[in-house]
Amino acid sequence: MDLWQLLLTLAVAGSGSAFSGSEDSSEKPKFTKCRSPELETFSCHWTDGVRHGLKNPGSVQLFYIRRSTQEWTQEWKECPDYVSAGENSCYFNSSYTSIWIPYCIKLTSNGGTVDQKCFSVEEIVQPDPPIGLNWTLLNISLTGIHADIQVRWEPPPNADVQKGWIVLEYELQYKEVNESQWKMMDPVLSTSVPVYSLRLDKEYEVRVRSRQRNSEKYGEFSEVLYVTLPQMSPFACEEDFQFPWFLIIIFGIFGLTMILFLFIFSKQQRIKMLILPPVPVPKIKGIDPDLLKEGKLEEVNTILAIHDNYKPEFYNDDSWVEFIELDIDDLDEKTEGSDTDRLLSNDHEKSLNILGAKDDDSGRTSCYEPDILETDFNASDVCDGTSEVAQPQRLKGEVDLLCLDQKNQNNSPSTDTTPTTQQPSIILAKENKPRPLLISGTESTQQAAHTQLSNPSSLANIDFYAQVSDITPAGSVVLSPGQKNKAGISPCDMPPEVASLCQANFIMDNAYFCEADAKKCITVAPHVEAESRVEPSFNQEDIYITTESLTTTAGQSGTTERAVSSEMPVPDYTSIHIIQSPRGLVLNATALPLPDKEFLSSCGYVSTDQLNKIMP
Amino acid sequence: MDNKGWSLKGSLLLLLLLVSDLLLCQSVASLPICPSGAVNCQVSLRDLFDRAVILSHYIHNLSSEMFNEFDKRYAQGRGFITKAINSCHTSSLSTPEDKEQAQQIHHEDLLNLILRVLRSWNDPLYHLVTEVRGMQEAPEAILSRAIEIEEQNRRLLEGMEKIVGQVHPGIRENEVYSVWSGLPSLQMADEDTRLFAFYNLLHCLRRDSHKIDNYLKLLKCRIVYDSNC
Repeated sequence: MDLWQLLLTLAVAGSGSAFSGSEDSSEKPKFTKCRSPELETFSCHWTDGVRHGLKNPGSVQLFYIRRSTQEWTQEWKECPDYVSAGENSCYFNSSYTSIWIPYCIKLTSNGGTVDQKCFSVEEIVQPDPPIGLNWTLLNISLTGIHADIQVRWEPPPNADVQKGWIVLEYELQYKEVNESQWKMMDPVLSTSVPVYSLRLDKEYEVRVRSRQRNSEKYGEFSEVLYVTLPQMSPFACEEDFQFPWFLIIIFGIFGLTMILFLFIFSKQQRIKMLILPPVPVPKIKGIDPDLLKEGKLEEVNTILAIHDNYKPEFYNDDSWVEFIELDIDDLDEKTEGSDTDRLLSNDHEKSLNILGAKDDDSGRTSCYEPDILETDFNASDVCDGTSEVAQPQRLKGEVDLLCLDQKNQNNSPSTDTTPTTQQPSIILAKENKPRPLLISGTESTQQAAHTQLSNPSSLANIDFYAQVSDITPAGSVVLSPGQKNKAGISPCDMPPEVASLCQANFIMDNAYFCEADAKKCITVAPHVEAESRVEPSFNQEDIYITTESLTTTAGQSGTTERAVSSEMPVPDYTSIHIIQSPRGLVLNATALPLPDKEFLSSCGYVSTDQLNKIMP
Repeated sequence: MDNKGWSLKGSLLLLLLLVSDLLLCQSVASLPICPSGAVNCQVSLRDLFDRAVILSHYIHNLSSEMFNEFDKRYAQGRGFITKAINSCHTSSLSTPEDKEQAQQIHHEDLLNLILRVLRSWNDPLYHLVTEVRGMQEAPEAILSRAIEIEEQNRRLLEGMEKIVGQVHPGIRENEVYSVWSGLPSLQMADEDTRLFAFYNLLHCLRRDSHKIDNYLKLLKCRIVYDSNC
């Protein structure tokens, strides 16, 4: 019970006090604020606590006192102006205001002090808001989205800034119209400030407030300034982040180029081959032109011999027989004369034509066909001579003459050197009628041959094979008929043994045979022949007998007669110097003694020098 | 030896100059410096006033902060405010108390007044630093500021003397200043009394620094800018 009473009393007292407190607070006037806007005057405001019943607002009085000297001698004075600052305020004008002097004010109501306050004027400075806000456009960004403006204002008119009595600093705040939060800028001492980066399509609000420098309290805000920026230019681009395609493209190209360069540099050779394929230089397959230049005749010979393999295949086995048969056929066909005659005749074209008609797939095709003759010049040495021929047809005929008996064998080994035949016409006359035939591309040769082989009667006896007995330096080939003394043995009728033997030996070397081989043939051949038969070798279409081998053998065989001018049986072998000229084949005289061992040793070409040495 | 000594002195002076300049530059914009040893260094009046205003502004800032710091820390709830309307030792100096009086006074007199006030504070500032150091739990904020104020006050005094030398050369009055006698109060054993003494001192310091700052700005506008700041 006691506790309950105590609690109740306390509650009542508490509520009562609270109630009375609020009432007291509402009744009692209190100072709310004392403020000096310019450090020259000040005013104080108080709340009017009159609520109930107090019908005399004037009862509230303000008294002040200020310390002029070190003594508080003065009395309290009443407020000089209750009106100027509004209701419940006291305004002290400049005459009543002293700076740096302590003031005390008190509020009385009905004689009783209600409130008291002490201060110094410099502590209560709160300037008025600035006036005259305006803005100007500084610039617009290139994108047309943002703009900068300069905001200007005037200091509050009552603040004597000009004389420097009071120094103010300002704070600007701005925001978009529909925003709620103000953006603050740092305090500035000047009365204009730039505001950067405002969006063109938005409206902004700007306000400024000031305070005395060194003070903490700001004055009131100025009026709000509305900033309406000009509309965005129609060309303004979106502010959205655009994917930097341009940059990506450029960097991509750059990267690709780098990769490509790396690739190229790593595969330089290959790309070179692709872009600039090597141009095939004309050369003999497998033969290095340098070899020819260097004069390595052995190698060249072997190589050439290899090449000739292709052709002899046609008629390797049946060369003799074929030739013979064919020749016979030919003979039968040409009752008018031997091919030789035809060849050597003036209208050699006719003969050529005739000869050309015989172009069939006999074993003689290798040097027969004009195509081969023409094109395979490099490919096969066999036909070299013929290919040189300007008139392949003529060659045909000449080739044909391999097995032909010399019909018109004047057999004058004079061969003269009616040289300078440009048409290589190798006519190997049968040895029966050793008669130099001039071979070469010149028609003169032909004529000479013609003259030489003018005897149609000899056609019957014409040998299929003719020997090249002489080569003139000028390039004409002197053919001599085969073995004169040979009786009935046509070169085509080579003893099969010999033939076969020689054939076998010469299978590989169609046109070119080495001295040794040649010797073999010679030796094997019946000694009846004063001359070694080259026929077997000749058989094979390769009419072209080369070189020193021929010469050598010829020389060795003993028939060392100068084919140039001898009517004597000329050696079977003569050297042929193939000239790469329209002159074609140049045969070298075999009868010449061999001054140089070079001939003996080498199986290949006779170089011009060697030729010259041999020939006078 | 002489050369060595002189070079050493010179280097030390330079160092001091640098350091002091750096300190000054912390809160004050850097201004062209006239070496202290130079005799005929003529700095323009405008520059002198600019420097002086900057210094006075700086001192007032520091003292305001110091006072606030002290008030927050020691004087809350003690009712010092009502009691603090006692006089400052510089109140005896008849300084203008409003704008009219300040405008009426001649600038030379005003300059002299400023000098007097500044001189009056040399001693109290020195003791303030000493006593704040001696306080229990000496607050670093107050101590550092006290030290800084003392330093800057000295410099401001030198500057003002230069200005006076330029504005009003020739006349050199007796060095009049108010004597401060509040030291015993600062050293009172009673903490309340001591704290009140500190409070009072700091309050007076803030007021006087504001006064000097105002006077200087007024003078600057009047003398340099011809009343058109």
